[in-house]
Amino acid sequence: MSQTIVFPALSKDESAEGVLATWFVRTGESVRAGQVIAEVMVDKVSMDVEAPIDGTVTCLVEEEAAVGQGAEIARID
Amino acid sequence: MTATADVETGARRVTTAKAISEAIAQEMRSNPDVFVMGEDVGTYGGIFGSTGGLFEEFGSQRIIDTPISETGFIGAGIGAAVEGLRPVVELMFVDFFGVCFDQIYNHMAKIHYESGGNVKVPMVLMMAVGGGYSDGAQHSQCLWASFAHMPGMKVVAPSNPHDAKGLMISAIRDDNPVIFMFHKGVMGLPWMAKNPRSIGPVPEEEYTVPIGKAAIPHPGTDVTVVSISMSVQHCLDVAEKLEGTTSVEVIDLRSIVPLDRDAILQSVAKTGRLVIVDEDYKSFGLSGEIVATITDKDPSLLKVPVQRVCYPDVPIPYARVLEYEALPTRDKIEAAIAAAMAG
Amino acid sequence: MVDNDMRVDFYKEMVRIRTYESALQRDYHADKAPAWDIGAGLIPGEMHLAAGQEPVAVGLCANLEQGDAITGPHRPHHLALAKGVDMKAMTAEIFGRDTGLSHGKGGHMHLFDPSQHFSCSGIIAEGMPVAVGQALAFSRKGTDNVAVAVAGEGAANQGAFHEALNLASMWKLPVIFIIEDNDWAISVSRELATPIKDGSLRAAAYGMPSARIEGNDVEAIFDACKVAVERARAGGGPTLLEIHTVRLWGHFEGDAQAYRGDELAEAAENDPIPIYERRLVSAGLLDDDSIARIKAEAEEEVEAAIAFAKASPEPKPSDAYLHVFA
Repeated sequence: MSQTIVFPALSKDESAEGVLATWFVRTGESVRAGQVIAEVMVDKVSMDVEAPIDGTVTCLVEEEAAVGQGAEIARID
Repeated sequence: MTATADVETGARRVTTAKAISEAIAQEMRSNPDVFVMGEDVGTYGGIFGSTGGLFEEFGSQRIIDTPISETGFIGAGIGAAVEGLRPVVELMFVDFFGVCFDQIYNHMAKIHYESGGNVKVPMVLMMAVGGGYSDGAQHSQCLWASFAHMPGMKVVAPSNPHDAKGLMISAIRDDNPVIFMFHKGVMGLPWMAKNPRSIGPVPEEEYTVPIGKAAIPHPGTDVTVVSISMSVQHCLDVAEKLEGTTSVEVIDLRSIVPLDRDAILQSVAKTGRLVIVDEDYKSFGLSGEIVATITDKDPSLLKVPVQRVCYPDVPIPYARVLEYEALPTRDKIEAAIAAAMAG
Repeated sequence: MVDNDMRVDFYKEMVRIRTYESALQRDYHADKAPAWDIGAGLIPGEMHLAAGQEPVAVGLCANLEQGDAITGPHRPHHLALAKGVDMKAMTAEIFGRDTGLSHGKGGHMHLFDPSQHFSCSGIIAEGMPVAVGQALAFSRKGTDNVAVAVAGEGAANQGAFHEALNLASMWKLPVIFIIEDNDWAISVSRELATPIKDGSLRAAAYGMPSARIEGNDVEAIFDACKVAVERARAGGGPTLLEIHTVRLWGHFEGDAQAYRGDELAEAAENDPIPIYERRLVSAGLLDDDSIARIKAEAEEEVEAAIAFAKASPEPKPSDAYLHVFA
């Protein structure tokens, strides 16, 4: 079972671009459901992103990269 | 990302800010006497994230937003502490200590002594320190030497998330007043440039880091580099860069009061060369005290003069080019190490 | 009494200030994306803008002369501009350039213009005792100049506020204390910090006259300041004025303001400039053409100041060591 994690919709403006501010994990690491794997920010609001399931994480974007809301940021296998 | 000990501990990685708020939360869960006071510590979670999530868990009775009345609420913290509570009080920026220093140095720090040991002040006074992001002369200082110079209060300044949590728990459990200084640059905030070392492995359970004990995150044999707080991150970057050419021993003091003089002496006895990296003002401060630690005991331990990489004796300028001329940056640290090696 | 020429001038000056703050907001954020780094860009560091508080600065400064002094808070641009601080030099300072008021040393919270007797600082309420001292100097020199200390409603809970008022009253000094009550001390609302609804009541404790001005209306503010300034000039001593205003934007740029909830939208409806504009249009003092012209002139002046700043050289790194001592 694999699950993709997308950048959360933090801004009322759907087109507003955000940033993946901090990765707390690296590709290949095991994560648990509920573990905070990243901090994202858009329009000055920041939020923790949690792993939805147990598994091995793959980080799909670079830290400090601009990311659109709804874009894929990680995959858990 | 940094090569820290996370592979060994297997612990999840968090920011220093999260580590601090987690420490406070865990102590608050186990001890109803612990509470927090300060400006914007409530729903805002602290201007630099030190109390993130606490208001949501503990509510307004234990996470208290105060008016802009530092003398008032720091004094109130002292009063609560002498009557048995364990307040964690936040002074938003260390630079604001001018408006409330009497409560700090004449009361919080002296009550235990003046009472002949009969009255305790089990209080933590935490504050944001440090510059490097153009906040100017009144919002960028470190000033740990100013607090360290007055007897009666412990002073700690972690450089990384692991130590931040452990030191905060130690500080809360300590029956003495503890000044807990977190450099804004090590907090791992999403809105400030950060060194990867500001994110690190932190065990989920409670643990302590002893106040008064330095750490040696990068052992070496050629030169001793003593530092504290954010500068430790720069020193480690330089030490790693120089591996293969110079064997640098980095000492992270973690505490200024008590100062781990033994750690400094042992290292300099081994290397004979001392570089001090301190973002606080150079003169009349911590760096001079570190030198005196050696020369008071045995000046012959030093094969070469001491190199001090400190903030110069000037107020902190706003313009980035001016501020970075003065800050103890990596290239200055590297140059100091080279100078120490050249003798 | 406010006449029609003054009304149009008030509007012009408020538009000038708002245009300035808007342009700074634009340029402040422009080069900080996508990873928002407070230390990055042409304007690094903190930025506290005064959109919504223009009526206070304009109503106050219309009563002041060049020789009168103002000490301002961390949110100073509206006061500096209304006082007559040179926009180009001020902007160059905010951009950290050598042509700035302080050659890049001070930045936006530390604007010093001795020719206008204008200064500001980032420590809440700490400009108030300084204004008392300036008033002391004016009094001893025998001029009829006055000093004005401007701070927020949060500052009225700081020790320096109380000491300054007490001293000014005791020594009957020509100083006016202006509290800009914008309801917020970063994220802490006034009602959580101050037990009385009308802070002007505190003046009675210090034996000085006072008033609280509601409505954020530039003309009412002008009238109240006029009384206080004339009282001070005539040797009648200090006055405390608490002026209810509105902070339309965040405490600092980058403040998501989640703590304001619905109040944020309500605040936007109380923007004093469109409200005053509608009033002057109804009175026949402004029309579409004159409004467009006023806005265009403001934009031209502001963009010229920003262009001047951007084209100015940075200070030499070694200048960091200058000016510690005279």
